[in-house]
Amino acid sequence: MKTSAPTAASQNLAACHICTKLAEPELHHCPRCGATLHLRKSNSLQRTLALLLTACILYIPANLYPIMITDQLGTSEGSTILGGVIILLHHGAAPVALVIFIFSVMVPLGKLMTMFYLLWTVKRHSPVSARQRTTMYQITEFVGKWSMVDVFVVAILVALVHLGGLLAIRPGIAALCFAGVVIVTMVAAESFDPRLIWDEMEEKNSDE
Amino acid sequence: MAINGEIACHSCDQLASVASLKAGESAYCPRCGHFLTRIVPDTYGRILSYTIAGIILLIMANSYTFLSFSSTGLESVITLRQTPGAVWEYGMPAVAIMVAAFIIIIPAFILVLLLLLCIPLHAGQYQPWLIPVAKMIFLTQNWSMVEVFIIGVIVSLVKIADMATVELGISFWAYAGFSICFTLAISSLDRYQCWEQIEALQTS
Repeated sequence: MKTSAPTAASQNLAACHICTKLAEPELHHCPRCGATLHLRKSNSLQRTLALLLTACILYIPANLYPIMITDQLGTSEGSTILGGVIILLHHGAAPVALVIFIFSVMVPLGKLMTMFYLLWTVKRHSPVSARQRTTMYQITEFVGKWSMVDVFVVAILVALVHLGGLLAIRPGIAALCFAGVVIVTMVAAESFDPRLIWDEMEEKNSDE
Repeated sequence: MAINGEIACHSCDQLASVASLKAGESAYCPRCGHFLTRIVPDTYGRILSYTIAGIILLIMANSYTFLSFSSTGLESVITLRQTPGAVWEYGMPAVAIMVAAFIIIIPAFILVLLLLLCIPLHAGQYQPWLIPVAKMIFLTQNWSMVEVFIIGVIVSLVKIADMATVELGISFWAYAGFSICFTLAISSLDRYQCWEQIEALQTS
């Protein structure tokens, strides 16, 4: 696709990330709201990569350890994220099992893979067009916080379910790890700059 | 340099002119299709009504029973605040703080900031706090998870439905109403138009 209109960067203008004001990057601070001005998010690729690796490491205990522990009549039983999905399926609650599976398994994994793919292709040729990659990024950014559903479920059940010594639910260590995964991937998506996808294309256009 | 009425796409940095946008219309990036800005008719009056309704509902959500759970003659009743509170008591303060922040503290903070922002903007008066308040709203708005929490409550109910009888309290319905008002208030606030308005008031 050929574009006639220029980008802000080619006119030596930086768009303020807080108030959208266009100003010369040499000013360092936005003349309207005072936020720091950058042509592109600083060290975007390194920061995103570091955060993604952190999320990958946290993702392992988040899935291996129980996210919540049910104490019933003297016996305690832990359930992991995937274990919870399987229990729900056995109870015949397929729609809810699907919701948990999508938000707690597919979304975090899909997010990690999409972000790694975007990082990998930002400086290389990609069979996926820049526009499609931008859409992939926007979806990743949008679905991020929905993975917190499982952490909220644990918080609600822990507060609600305790009937004397009969029945109680305790949070497991995976709740902390999983909340960490969600927050770190949200910050990773925020530190990635989708404009880098288009910058690469522009350089190629000007070479030709 | 004539940069008035121009906006750079947040996704691809393309410059686009939005000076001719009319009330009720939205602008999208010509290159990547990303949303740029829109003019909501009577924006600030609208946000103010959602915000005030949201604040009343949030206060209600904090004053009544959220959920009750009963089985074999025993009953357990919780309020909204006990949700993060119980996690704290089981030795996970970090998770408790996150839950409290995402479902109550950040949304409440944003609602108060929206009042501080929209009352002067609605009246057309410049106030020195407008810029820091608007900055704080745009920095924190991604970290409110009220709608996610509603889904969390529904999933929890299904999970324990065959263990015991669960009843939804007034506070749950108030919170559900609050989450709708909050989402409508935030989605009516357009970043570009809001800052243009602040700048126009500042220079006049």
